[in-house]
Amino acid sequence: MAAAASVASQAQALLRGRICDQGFVHSALRSSPDTNYSKLKYLVGSSVSEACNNSVLLLGPRGCGKAAVVEMVLDDLKKEHPDAISVIRLNGMLHSDDNCAMKEIARQLCLEHQLSFSKMASSDDNTEFMIDMLRECGLAHKTIIFVLEEFDLFAQGKQRLLYSLLDAMQSLTSQAIVIGVSCRLDADQLLEKRVRSRFSHRKLIFLPSSVDSLQRLMEHLLMLPKDSHLPTKYVMEYNARVTSIFSDKKFKGILNSLTDSDATTSHILRFLFRVVSYMDMDSGLLSMQSFMNALSSMQRQPKMDSLQDLSILELYILVCMHRLEDKEHSSYNFTTIMKEYKSVQDAYRTSDNYSHNICFRAFEHLLDRELISFADKKGKALEYRPVKLLISSQELAQSLKLNTICPAVLQKLLDRERYM
Amino acid sequence: MQAVKEALHVATVPSSGLICRDDEQSRVLEFCKACVEQERAGGLYVCGCPGTGKTLAINMVKESVKRWANDMGMETPDALSINCTSLANTHEIFSKILATLQPRKKATGKLPPLQQLQTMFSHKESAPRRMLLVVVDEMDYLITRDRAVLHDLFLLTTYQFSRCILIGIANAIDLAYRFLPKLESLNCKPLVVTFRAYSKDQISDIIKHRLKVIEYDVFEPMALEFCARKVAAASGDMRKALGVCRSAVEVFEARLHESSDQEFGVVTFDHMDIALSKAFKSAVVDSILCLPQHQQMVLCALANTFHHCKKKATTLGELNKSYIEICRSTQVPAVGMLEFSNMCMVLSDQGFMKLGQSKEDKLRIVMLKIDISDINFAFKAFDFYWIKPS
Repeated sequence: MAAAASVASQAQALLRGRICDQGFVHSALRSSPDTNYSKLKYLVGSSVSEACNNSVLLLGPRGCGKAAVVEMVLDDLKKEHPDAISVIRLNGMLHSDDNCAMKEIARQLCLEHQLSFSKMASSDDNTEFMIDMLRECGLAHKTIIFVLEEFDLFAQGKQRLLYSLLDAMQSLTSQAIVIGVSCRLDADQLLEKRVRSRFSHRKLIFLPSSVDSLQRLMEHLLMLPKDSHLPTKYVMEYNARVTSIFSDKKFKGILNSLTDSDATTSHILRFLFRVVSYMDMDSGLLSMQSFMNALSSMQRQPKMDSLQDLSILELYILVCMHRLEDKEHSSYNFTTIMKEYKSVQDAYRTSDNYSHNICFRAFEHLLDRELISFADKKGKALEYRPVKLLISSQELAQSLKLNTICPAVLQKLLDRERYM
Repeated sequence: MQAVKEALHVATVPSSGLICRDDEQSRVLEFCKACVEQERAGGLYVCGCPGTGKTLAINMVKESVKRWANDMGMETPDALSINCTSLANTHEIFSKILATLQPRKKATGKLPPLQQLQTMFSHKESAPRRMLLVVVDEMDYLITRDRAVLHDLFLLTTYQFSRCILIGIANAIDLAYRFLPKLESLNCKPLVVTFRAYSKDQISDIIKHRLKVIEYDVFEPMALEFCARKVAAASGDMRKALGVCRSAVEVFEARLHESSDQEFGVVTFDHMDIALSKAFKSAVVDSILCLPQHQQMVLCALANTFHHCKKKATTLGELNKSYIEICRSTQVPAVGMLEFSNMCMVLSDQGFMKLGQSKEDKLRIVMLKIDISDINFAFKAFDFYWIKPS
């Protein structure tokens, strides 16, 4: 028993380590042809070997693997040309001010080439230093690669940094490559016309992967390798189980529901981490249940949980508020809600007719649970301040359906509104 | 192939001189020659769109003036090139000019550099003997609220003993008229030379001229003409044309690697077509098609709202209502308000739409930032039409 548990925890640690390692996650890209990785590698590699200047922009929604691809390309090129590359990294959120960016460039250049950096150097000195270094490295056939993350934030203001970088690249003596990474698809439209003219039009678009490639990614991450130090019988049993899960129809349903809201790689990685954490520790195997648990933990609805605990009167108040909103009342307060409640009671004569004070206590309880809130900052007495709902109609309808003690009349009141 | 790419690189200056800019170059050259001969100062303003060869032409003129002055036995003028984006402060330009005129004297902090220059140019004894050719690149960075720096710069050429030949380069055609009205009244408007955007013939001539270095014909003639036509229609920017030719060569090289037959082909029309579509295509339609389903429906709701009426903006609450309608008609359960506003923020992050600020979430203004026809085109591929005809 203890042996099985330790094997399971070892396997879990191995899988978790894989999922958190960006290099491993995207290493499958190395072998597939005609991906953005291969295009970027060809571009940067040929610029380095032919000693010419170039610029490229990587665009795509967040979490699609842009930064990971840049890291992989830089690692590969450093291995191929060990002394011919130096990398300067800037981030638009940290260095969008031109002086700050110049200082950072000078500091990183000093670090790479083992010179001492002076904090007292002015912005002019730093610019001259950068231009001199570009010239020196050009003569020594060394390429400087500038990686600009959050590129669209550099395009605010006068864009001096971009202009001076790209202008320095127009001369024959320098060898530099500018790689811009941004999540805005129109990042090149943000550039001023002078800067845009100097920037080459090369763009690589990263799109969220299709369902097939997601499945391949999951196989790549979840299958245990045969040459690990875990016992072979366990590995074979584990892999067989994972393959059978992948071919199950329910799994396709889980995958579709996951990618409906967000199909980026980082979202899938978060999901897989939870799946591995839900591994059954006794047998050390994954099951369909672990996938379903992971999915429900990613799609939690905390407000639904608190809606289940409400009393009938509180549900009445919520339904009345919903009716008022549907009737296009722009603002309503407790008194209007009470009028609506009274009219409902008069129409249906249920047994849930409570007095004003009790209703007000229920109202305050709803405020405490933050299912409703006041629509203005402060003001008059509590009964006359405008309120608003903090839950949506779908959540309310679903909670009424799930509530076993809910009277049928409430359902009817709600349904009448939606299909009117 | 590498030699071809090097010949087409933006940084390479063809050794046999620039073509298609003879007229403009000769005008500037005549002006400089006249100034040097008569030993008087003058101002010139060069304007044109980016990528029309202004800086390149003026650099060649600088060399020509030096050579001509040597040949005629006159004093060669000093030359100073300043790019105004590298100035931290607009007044630095005067200290740079002063430093060139008085290289041995250290900057005395008593008078500001502008005043020193003005006194220098007003008296015969202190005026320098040699002419100074000052080329000011990207001059619109010197425009301040009171336009004092630009005025003073051009006024430096009006002093009696001034020795500056000032050549300013910028993009705006009417910089001289709009920003320097005082000079007009003083009757010393600078001469304006406009570099027009390149036409289709000029672009293909320039590329052929660059490729003369290579012995054989690298490009198919139709491919070059296609490239020239497209770029001339878009902007007339030479850098773009050179970039597109380079990427066509790269496409050709990639094909060579794949097919692994070593014959020296030419870059054909197909290669140029691929390179041009990469350069001019927008990624919008592809990325719309790859969005998750609910985000596509939000875009669809937005397009619907602007399709029916001529409004430009709507609120998040209204958008939510039309989104719920679309969900109802396609039998997909809609998401709650919180998730909906998160989706809208993701879409605005990517540049599809713009969200305003407001205290109340439902009252935030939403504006579409991409073309409606792109959305229509993207959704045509779907089985059921989500966009209702108006």
